[in-house]
Amino acid sequence: MPYHEFECSKCIPERKKHAVIKGPGEDLTSALPQGYLSTIPGSISERGCAYCGAKHVIGTPMKDVIHLSHGPIGCTYDTWQTKRYISDNDNFQIKNTFATDMKEKHIIFGAEKLLKQTIIEAFKAFPAIKRMSIYQTCASALIGDDINAIAAEVMEEMPEVDIFVCNSPGFAGPSQSGGHHKINIAWLNQKVGTVEPKITSPYVINYVGEYNIQGDQHVMMDYFKRMGIQVLSTFTGNGSYDELRGMHRAHLNVLECARSAEYICNELKKRYGIPRLDIDAFGFTTLAEGLRKIGMFFGIEDRAQAIIDEETARWKPELDWYKERLRGKKVCLWPGGSKLWHWANVVHEEFGVDVVSVYTKFGHQGDMEKGISRCQEGALAIDDPNELEGLEAMDMLKPDIIFTGKRPGEVAKKVRVPYLNAHAYHNGPWKGWEGWVRFARDIYNGIYSPIHQLALLDISKDEIPTDKGFETQRMLSDRDLSEDITASTVLHQYSGKYDCLAELSGKTYPRFETDLAHAV
Amino acid sequence: MLCDVKEKTRGGCINPIFTCQPCGAQFVSIGVKDCIGIVHGGQGCVMFVRLLISQHFKESFEIASSSVHEEGAVFGAVKRVEEAVDVLLMRYPDVKVIPIISTCSTEIIGDDIDGVVNKLNAGLLKEKYPGREVHLIPIHTPSFVGSMVSGYDVAVRDFVTYFAKKTEPDGKLNLITGWVNPGDVTALKHLLAEMRIDATVLFEIENFDSPLMPYGNFVSHGDTTVEDLSGTANAIGTIALNRYEGGKAALYLEKEFGVPAILGPTPIGIRNTDTFLQNLMTLTGKPIPESLVRERGIAMDAITDVTHMFLADKKVAIYGNPDLAIGIAEFCLDLEMKPVLLLLGDDNPNYRNDPRVKALQENVDFPMEIITNADLWELEDRIRNQGLELDMIFGHSKGRYSAIENTIPMVRVGFPTYDRAGLYRHPVVGYAGAMWLVEQMANTLFTDMEYKKNKEWILNVW
Repeated sequence: MPYHEFECSKCIPERKKHAVIKGPGEDLTSALPQGYLSTIPGSISERGCAYCGAKHVIGTPMKDVIHLSHGPIGCTYDTWQTKRYISDNDNFQIKNTFATDMKEKHIIFGAEKLLKQTIIEAFKAFPAIKRMSIYQTCASALIGDDINAIAAEVMEEMPEVDIFVCNSPGFAGPSQSGGHHKINIAWLNQKVGTVEPKITSPYVINYVGEYNIQGDQHVMMDYFKRMGIQVLSTFTGNGSYDELRGMHRAHLNVLECARSAEYICNELKKRYGIPRLDIDAFGFTTLAEGLRKIGMFFGIEDRAQAIIDEETARWKPELDWYKERLRGKKVCLWPGGSKLWHWANVVHEEFGVDVVSVYTKFGHQGDMEKGISRCQEGALAIDDPNELEGLEAMDMLKPDIIFTGKRPGEVAKKVRVPYLNAHAYHNGPWKGWEGWVRFARDIYNGIYSPIHQLALLDISKDEIPTDKGFETQRMLSDRDLSEDITASTVLHQYSGKYDCLAELSGKTYPRFETDLAHAV
Repeated sequence: MLCDVKEKTRGGCINPIFTCQPCGAQFVSIGVKDCIGIVHGGQGCVMFVRLLISQHFKESFEIASSSVHEEGAVFGAVKRVEEAVDVLLMRYPDVKVIPIISTCSTEIIGDDIDGVVNKLNAGLLKEKYPGREVHLIPIHTPSFVGSMVSGYDVAVRDFVTYFAKKTEPDGKLNLITGWVNPGDVTALKHLLAEMRIDATVLFEIENFDSPLMPYGNFVSHGDTTVEDLSGTANAIGTIALNRYEGGKAALYLEKEFGVPAILGPTPIGIRNTDTFLQNLMTLTGKPIPESLVRERGIAMDAITDVTHMFLADKKVAIYGNPDLAIGIAEFCLDLEMKPVLLLLGDDNPNYRNDPRVKALQENVDFPMEIITNADLWELEDRIRNQGLELDMIFGHSKGRYSAIENTIPMVRVGFPTYDRAGLYRHPVVGYAGAMWLVEQMANTLFTDMEYKKNKEWILNVW
């Protein structure tokens, strides 16, 4: 597995060991890109900071919490309304953000007084909310304000409120990943074990590393409820502050995004003996395997199997409709961290697409290990990519579509590569059986957009076809397909609604009477 | 006086109107050709600003970071700037302008970005890049001072100060637009062309709205050149349309090179556009042509169609960049509307003495509040808890939930407007902008009437 040297990065030799091409029959022992190292200044990397890793990625999805940043206004403003983590309390945490708005005088004389005032004002503005997370920033870290002390003071004066403090300034580490780690450990140290939850089932889990992007968590909660499992808490999408204080009473931690949340699982195992079970809720077979594993752990495999059978029967014909049309399409899988290995294999197996490249902005070598071992031969793996390398890779690989962030998606657009938002999704949720079909549908609509086809036409040089007033996705996708497929009465296109979550709210679930008797 | 100017009394901020200074400097930097800025600070200071700009324009812009990590925060990070400049120059052969934009963290640790520029000029640039035109411009934008608005103002001044060089008078006019959209620049250039005025437009950002071409890679970028900037000293005059976004540069040119400066007015609405044209005449001696009389007439006709019938007496709240917000308030008054709340989102002490604010205080005949250092809670709290009734909100997308939650029609203006398609293409300045704004207001009200079944039948015969 040789290192891949980008033309544009020849002048920065440190970059040499950050990309590899997975050769035929090769394994990870021959080469693995370096990861999670200091960023090269001026390279126009795509990395964020440790503040955003803590506050924006993991902290803010908690729904019933005032999220307050202690620092100048930019950190707060910039991380506000750039994510799609919804909640069932009317998205309080998306709509509102809070800051101390530190000014020069505070830098000089300290901002602890301002912090206290801001905390009290915030609770006053939203009297129904009694929980708060305070996030340190570069500025408040450097001037050395004691946020913990102020939080303790306020809690003493206002016994009805509870405050969590996360000290993760932007400069703490090479990327947002440092902030993931810090907030995991801070939450565990400060808050876990401070509330005793009511146990209502013999099967009790924490659902960890799940951020409820476009409602993923709602979808997964539906399965857990159908299995009679009590979900004590979700860390942190649609998660409730007080529920997360009771994490220590779970029997099992079900972990999705190991990159951002394995730390808390590992510590919960060490301190409370709660085992960790990693699952992938993206993909039919992977999700089935995940639910089956959870079922096996609790001895309720039959309940998992019932869901798997029902959901697979319902959605497989729709998944396969897309698979037939996506087969062999080239994909650059360029997410932030964990999706590189969540998706690397399953998009190939279940959508039929070929993953020609994987990259990670803030992943560690462990993520690359998993990603490279799961992706196809010939794929180009890049750690901490930068703008020019991304363009060079697209030029070399000619992908049909790219899964990446919003802004890099705009870069791809300009070289006529359609993009899907890997972080926030296009029309999600993408977890669950239906969600996975929605992902397939989004890929299909991206690749077979007649507008995308028109973007490739150079009217000054190419022959302009004058025989058509329009084309449809089907005219493009079905052109070379056999009639067996195009005329199939089994396969069909996605049939769900624009908002597939609506029917989940208010749904009733079976009561497992024997379970209640055994709840501990 | 019915119009009060007050400062927000709370200490903290709930739902901010602005981001911090480095964002303003970054926005200026992308307006310059062959320029990639280096933001000296944590990576989030760049990553999120790039995201914000791309949310607004649906385009990606190039800005670099010095990627200050823990070690730099403790021991100083000027070395990261040196490395960043070298890496940028090696990999981007066309780059010749590199502003070094400071942030809160690097200002607090006291990194000497002026010193490092001197060092690089004497060392790296001479030794490794002899013969290559490279301009390193330190720009101090600590995040704990001012806001993105002052960051913009500071950066324009610093670019102009760095480049402006007196040679021969060139008869051109400097037009500093302030923080506007490509559609505004198009509209302003159209007015200049009709007046046959040769002008240097700072900043030339029409190409922020860039094409998707069947070949090549069209990276969105600004087109203001080094020559444009150095020529500003030789102009016959400067008009800075926005007092708080370019005013500093105009005053610098006046003081340093005797180039007469006119600050404002932001040409929003008919009246302010008239004044702008008058100012153009004053500085250039060129007459206003019949074509603009006609263009104004078309706008007047369209505006007359809706003003006293639909817009009169409507109560509105406005937030956003100060020149934009004040300009819209002025226009609203001409439209017989009542701007009852004006939110200016930073602590600039000059707002209170702004002649436009003074004029509002002296002449408004209904209760009006102007809040400085405001956040969006000043709006939300008044609606939710103090009984403020509004017919319309003007502002950018970050405040969209005040409109959505309280079902108040909203006209998106300013930056950012990521929750609507293509707004950056439409001007709010000039006669074209006045017409567009009024029609946006009217259509927004009409749609709201239909959704709420609030006398929507009135539109049957209009």
